[in-house]
Amino acid sequence: MNSASNKIFAKAWMAIVYLFLYLPIITLVVFSFNDSKLVTVWSHASFRWYAALAKDSDLISAVLLSLEIAGLSALMSVFFGTFTAFALNRYKRFHGRTLLTSMSSMPLVMPDVIVGLSLLLMIVSVQNWLGFPERGLFTILLGHALLGTAYAAVVVTSRLREMDSKLDEASMDLGCKPMQVFTLVTFPLLVPALVSAFLLTFTLSFDDVVLSSFLSGPGYSTMPMVIFSRARLGLNPTINAVATVTIAVVTIAVIASSFYTSQQERKRKREEAQAYSNSNK
Amino acid sequence: MATAPKEANKAAQEILLRVENVTKVYDGTVKAVDDVSLTVMKGEIFALLGGSGCGKSTLLRMMAGFETPTKGKIFLANQDITNLPPFQRPINMMFQSYALFPHLSVWENVAFGLKRDGMPKDEIAERVEKMLSLAQLNQYAKRKPHQLSGGQQQRVALVRSLAKRPQLLLLDEPLGALDKKLRESTQLELVNIIEEVGVTCVLVTHDQEEAMTMASRIAVMSEGYFLQVGEPDTVYEMPNSRKVADFIGNVNIFEGKIEEDEPDHVTVRCPECVHYVGHGVSGHSGMDVGVALRPEKIMLSKDKPNSEYNWCAGEVIEIVYFGAHTTYHLKLDSGKVIKAQELNNTRDLSCGLTWGDRAYASWSDLAMVVLTQ
Amino acid sequence: MAKKQSFFTSLSAGRLVVIGVPYFWFLLLAAIPLLIVLKISLSEMESTSISHMIDWSHGWPRLTLNFGSYQFLATDSLYFKTYLSSIKYAAITTLLCLVIGYPFAYYMARSPKHMQPTLLMLIMLPFWTSFLLRIYAWKTLLVSNGVINNILISLHVIDTPIEMMNNSFSLLLGMVYSYLPFMILPLYANLSKMDMRYLEAAADLGTSPFKAFWLITVPLSKAGIIAGSMLVFIPAVGEYVIPELLGGSSTLMIGRVLWDEFFSNNDWPMASAVAVVMILLILVPMGVYNKAQAEQMEGK
Ligand SMILES: Nc1ncnc2c1ncn2[C@@H]1O[C@H](COP(=O)(O)OP(=O)(O)OP(=O)(O)O)[C@@H](O)[C@H]1O
Ligand SMILES: [Mg+2]
Repeated sequence: MNSASNKIFAKAWMAIVYLFLYLPIITLVVFSFNDSKLVTVWSHASFRWYAALAKDSDLISAVLLSLEIAGLSALMSVFFGTFTAFALNRYKRFHGRTLLTSMSSMPLVMPDVIVGLSLLLMIVSVQNWLGFPERGLFTILLGHALLGTAYAAVVVTSRLREMDSKLDEASMDLGCKPMQVFTLVTFPLLVPALVSAFLLTFTLSFDDVVLSSFLSGPGYSTMPMVIFSRARLGLNPTINAVATVTIAVVTIAVIASSFYTSQQERKRKREEAQAYSNSNK
Repeated sequence: MATAPKEANKAAQEILLRVENVTKVYDGTVKAVDDVSLTVMKGEIFALLGGSGCGKSTLLRMMAGFETPTKGKIFLANQDITNLPPFQRPINMMFQSYALFPHLSVWENVAFGLKRDGMPKDEIAERVEKMLSLAQLNQYAKRKPHQLSGGQQQRVALVRSLAKRPQLLLLDEPLGALDKKLRESTQLELVNIIEEVGVTCVLVTHDQEEAMTMASRIAVMSEGYFLQVGEPDTVYEMPNSRKVADFIGNVNIFEGKIEEDEPDHVTVRCPECVHYVGHGVSGHSGMDVGVALRPEKIMLSKDKPNSEYNWCAGEVIEIVYFGAHTTYHLKLDSGKVIKAQELNNTRDLSCGLTWGDRAYASWSDLAMVVLTQ
Repeated sequence: MAKKQSFFTSLSAGRLVVIGVPYFWFLLLAAIPLLIVLKISLSEMESTSISHMIDWSHGWPRLTLNFGSYQFLATDSLYFKTYLSSIKYAAITTLLCLVIGYPFAYYMARSPKHMQPTLLMLIMLPFWTSFLLRIYAWKTLLVSNGVINNILISLHVIDTPIEMMNNSFSLLLGMVYSYLPFMILPLYANLSKMDMRYLEAAADLGTSPFKAFWLITVPLSKAGIIAGSMLVFIPAVGEYVIPELLGGSSTLMIGRVLWDEFFSNNDWPMASAVAVVMILLILVPMGVYNKAQAEQMEGK
């Protein structure tokens, strides 16, 4: 193999994989503008299914419920995930540390069906014992928050690990009490990680169908649950329309944020360079 | 190399910091600091000098309050601070890698400690301005730390730790992150600022030149304990052990036995030569000792000295030119290699010696130190 | 000394909260639920009404172990077959992901530095689109009157539609599609950190590039291979959504059996027993994964 053909092979391989990854997404978007009732046969372009979507009150209320659950569970995930990350990162030795480590990685490695089943059985037990909670929004929230906590803990941990522990010491040296160390130094430096943990756990929740199916009660259907039940029955062009809307929102958000961070980075570089040239005068 | 001791007798000798038999054991096995005692006088710049891993930082961190001693006590102005948390100690520290808060501006970094003390706003502003001008950083007040060069960051870190007017300032490798050239100019800058404020300092460094130029006293550390404590010139000229002599500067050490042991002189017989030391030493004849001789105290010539003692002969095997001086490596007949340093005080390079020449090294009878340890 | 007191009590109070909060959270939502699953798997169908089973009036519930569900699990060969087939599909998925993902990650790590963030983002971007929607999209592509068949027929490549749905092919395609990024990301992380000088040294010593790849690159990326394989294999074993949407009735997956036992048969002890055995099955690869992770942490 010479290096030129090698390069072509590499490029082709990468292109094929990317095509594989994006093919279904492209199809979703393209066929959402299809006028035919058959999802798979192109007739001509129209916004028919978007109009149908606007009238689909089941789906819309499911989307709203999903947004609500995703937002709340992401907040909870970030909250508990931060605690977990701190416990595991700042305290190297305590009784049952290994247990906490394995418990916190359990939701990451267990299949969703098991997490869903076990949580449901626990909730039913508590229900029989105490008379609450009713299955519904709250129980779904618990499930999503459990899963999200595990992911958020990973994100926050990796940030904590690269953060200079000397900063904590410096702040203490300058008179911060332990709580002030957190509010004045650690927390402000953690904010970017908390934001990405929020976004990640939000999407996880917004995407989940298995946990929600186990944990929801009558009258509480999240968007993935609705889509799943429709997809099981057959193909439905409204789903394409929903998909396209979420893809559009996500794409815009991702592009905007990456544009913003690269801008920030460039600004930072420029100022840094300026600082050096100034100091050499 | 050694500058004059810095006004060691200036302040009335008042003890500020007292460390009593402090030991720190990590994980039950690693003895990082081993039964160390020391006192630091008010106004002093005290340096802890030692190789990597000898426990300097650990000792300093116990003074700052980040570690609690396993054994022993620490007093500041006669108050026991051994168990006082860092935020209650009137001690501030300048960190090895500065530890400037990346999310705060230079101004806010310097004001950080003052705000924690609840100082009124206008007083804070006044103090910060003063500190910034001390470090000539006023124009950078609004910048974030990453927008500063290494030297500027270092000065911010210094004035941040000075802003609270601590009784004691701790510096952990204050120049460690700077390149060699910047280091030399910054050393003096640092000492000037510290002396202007008049704060007592404990400084950690592994660079002996840095310790020599900045400190009024030096403690040489190894494996958790002090080898020698003294003023820079004492430690340099009168090392108390082979380890200290070896660690501070360059040295040639001759192993031998004391032959004559008189109150006003001793002679030491070594395989290479016989040393005539012009002062008495604490030892007895027949004792195994080392004779330490600094390279700059050796004179080289092509002619055989007409003395019985204090010279040896060898072949020049290496000449290293440093600009201000030249170092010759001499391979003695016994096979031992010694270094001799000659000042280049004329532009006529070298004393005529070149590779392969036979040369005679000689020294005065007050040039060497007899090491019994 | 009073000051000293307050410092250490406040410190340990903070410590108690920081450790206590996540501990409580995970005990309640992760550990206890698993124990309840274990408990219910050992109880009888009739007493599934939880009030019978968890009888708090007697203090600690009396354990009457009932291995009925496990007996049934062992005797009915369908369960055994399903476990085996789940493992088979998960293993094939892992292998395919590795075969496709390794060269990809390798080329990605070797592409120009300034391109890499973009290439990486392009791998992550599909994550942000609902997984369910992407699986649904494959359904629209694969069905007999689906997009792919329609295109092939209109191009006269084929006359009759190819059967691509509801079989092992569609299942594996969906699984490889969903899990490929989980293989690529750890591999890329590993390969991009690898020191090129090893390869140069090997070339210097006269090793051919192909041989150098097998003798040096692959062994050095062992940690990435293990991490990626486990990240694919473990969730693939218990996958429910993909077999439900793409697998049809002929492909046996244990996640679906659990679901059906629970939702269709309402047999909670059986569903729990299926879950317990599934956990035991993935415990081994999980251990391998954790060990590899721990080693990598140490290495840093
Ligand atoms: N937190 C800790 N846990 C365990 N051992 C430690 C810890 N901190 C330091 N040590 C050990 O204590 C010894 C002294 O460390 P210390 O940091 O004081 O050295 P040092 O003199 O500052 O070295 P350097 O010049 O490299 O900074 C070393 O052997 C080190 O490994
Ligand atoms: Mg150190």
